[in-house]
Amino acid sequence: MKALTANRLLDGEVVFWKAGQWVERFADAELFSDDEAATAAEAHGKNQPTVVVDVYLIDLIEAEGVWAPISYRERIRALGPTNHLAHGKQAEGGAVIEALQHAHGAARSTGRVNLIKRK
Amino acid sequence: MYRYDTIDREMLADRAAEFRSQVGRRLAGDLSEDQFKPLRLMNGLYLQLHAYMLRIAIPYGSMNPIQLRKLAWIARTYDRGYGHFTTRTNLQFHWIKLRDAPDILDELASVDMHAIQTSGNCIRNVTADPYAGATAEEVDDPRVWAEAIRQWSTFHPEFSFLPRKFKIAVTAAPKDRTAARVHDIGLVLKRARDGALGFEVIVGGGMGRTPHIGPTIREFLPVNRLMSYLEAILRVYNRHGRRDNIYKARIKILVAALGVEEFTRQVEAEWLKMDAQAEGGVDLPDTELARIRGAFAPTGFESLPLQSEPLELEKAANPAFARFVRNNLKPHKKPGYGIVEISLKAVGETPGDATADQMDVVADLAERYGQGDIRVTHEQNLVLPHVKLDDVPAVWAGLREAGLATPNINLVSDIIACPGLDYCALANARAIPVAQNIAEKFRDEERAELIGELKIKISGCINACGHHHVGHIGILGVDKKGEEFYQLTLGGSGAEDAALGTILGPALPYDRVADAVDTLVDVYLRERTDGERFLDTFRRTGVAPFKEAVYADAH
Repeated sequence: MKALTANRLLDGEVVFWKAGQWVERFADAELFSDDEAATAAEAHGKNQPTVVVDVYLIDLIEAEGVWAPISYRERIRALGPTNHLAHGKQAEGGAVIEALQHAHGAARSTGRVNLIKRK
Repeated sequence: MYRYDTIDREMLADRAAEFRSQVGRRLAGDLSEDQFKPLRLMNGLYLQLHAYMLRIAIPYGSMNPIQLRKLAWIARTYDRGYGHFTTRTNLQFHWIKLRDAPDILDELASVDMHAIQTSGNCIRNVTADPYAGATAEEVDDPRVWAEAIRQWSTFHPEFSFLPRKFKIAVTAAPKDRTAARVHDIGLVLKRARDGALGFEVIVGGGMGRTPHIGPTIREFLPVNRLMSYLEAILRVYNRHGRRDNIYKARIKILVAALGVEEFTRQVEAEWLKMDAQAEGGVDLPDTELARIRGAFAPTGFESLPLQSEPLELEKAANPAFARFVRNNLKPHKKPGYGIVEISLKAVGETPGDATADQMDVVADLAERYGQGDIRVTHEQNLVLPHVKLDDVPAVWAGLREAGLATPNINLVSDIIACPGLDYCALANARAIPVAQNIAEKFRDEERAELIGELKIKISGCINACGHHHVGHIGILGVDKKGEEFYQLTLGGSGAEDAALGTILGPALPYDRVADAVDTLVDVYLRERTDGERFLDTFRRTGVAPFKEAVYADAH
């Protein structure tokens, strides 16, 4: 399972793709079980350079009945910094936030790998 | 303190207006991200994990209360009420919006601040001894030279697109509080027997993935030749530095590849050539030097007795104050004055972070008791360099009320930590919670004092923003198949006895790091002889007893 993520150009906010729109909550993200659909969405996202930057797909794993990013880096992006729990998306709370906080998947983030490649 | 003139202010206003135009063009789609990125980086604006991060320059770590209050105001208005002081003595805001960045640059310019030289492949913000102008150890005021370097390097057309970033530190005291030997150039001011002032010039130090302790390429450079000599070094680097491989682009790699002797020969040859072509004019004229020096002339010192009765009385009556004095009050060159270090390492807090309210408190205290002078240290603390000893009890009380009187300077919980994976797009692992776990483990202030000087430095990736290579205990976050692990090194030092740490053993998982540090400290306390710091004991015993204790379970 995959989701599509990016940072919004105007304010840097972490956003997720949902049916042609960018949404702020991971809980609202569109989940892709089909690689072709995911790649097509990625192409759409990359075609919006005045809306978002750093568009990439992330891998998900099932945790407590919800899908969560496998990579720790991506879970922090979806939650916020662990040293300020009132900052970032985690401040809102809720079942998906809690599931992400308890998820234990481990894999390198495609976002970081892309960043290093670009450097 | 140096004051900007009309030319400086016009330059900042122009720069802010230029960036406003660039942001407008980016948002309108007239600039692509690839075109815009280097432009925003030249103004200190990075895109991090959760938002944009704006890094603001604090040249040689020196600022006044008006500037600090402006930073507090920006923190409240555009960020989330706090800022993060860095190992380059800058300040970072972590929750900035691109659309606000031009307004913030305007606000900064209104108090002679900016984000120039905080990113990009240029000569970065110059750092200096945070005790400059206050310590009796120094042979001259290093800020004079740091300011001269700032003026020379800002927008220097020849050195604005170097192979890689370039960092310079200046100190004038035998005790190095700038980590000079792990800079691209470290300058140590010395006085010769005949009274002449000169620089020991250290080139090619650095951390990152290829750490080097910088070698000295000139033992004594007459101070009036500083600019031309720096220019000669930068020219050799600009000509031969590797632009084809980002990992081999720093000057340390060039110095190592050519060898110190050959690198030095090329610098000296370039320098002679500049003289022959009458380019020595780049050196600072005496009149300009005098003008800069005048800005740092000591003012407002009274003739006071060496000892302060109010301070001694408070010490006798108040153990918490006495502990603060023992650890955070440092000797001043003027009788009756002291240097007050303000720790930004309270247990449970983020190393280097200050809230907007705390910034205001420090600004008020500096104005009332500290001649309006505030410094940032590369160890992520603040300094009030000129406080009357009589006023230290009042300063302490003000700091304490704001949660800023942590008495731990140079102790085990005075930890350097980069923002790590909690904020940084490049990080492999978190650094802040590791620091917090260790600080919590050593929250007993008496035990921390018993342990004595112990510098722990944590980086969330190999770029080493947290200076882990030169920590007495260094901690490097690594990514092992997507999980956070931490490699420990022992015996590093960024001070005058600079050394790179030795790897202790296999990396440890996140939840074992604080316990491992506790074990290392236990070994030190067991092995140390009178007067030995952790570093001294390690240097005497080597890594074996430490390694054996930490990995005992693995046998």
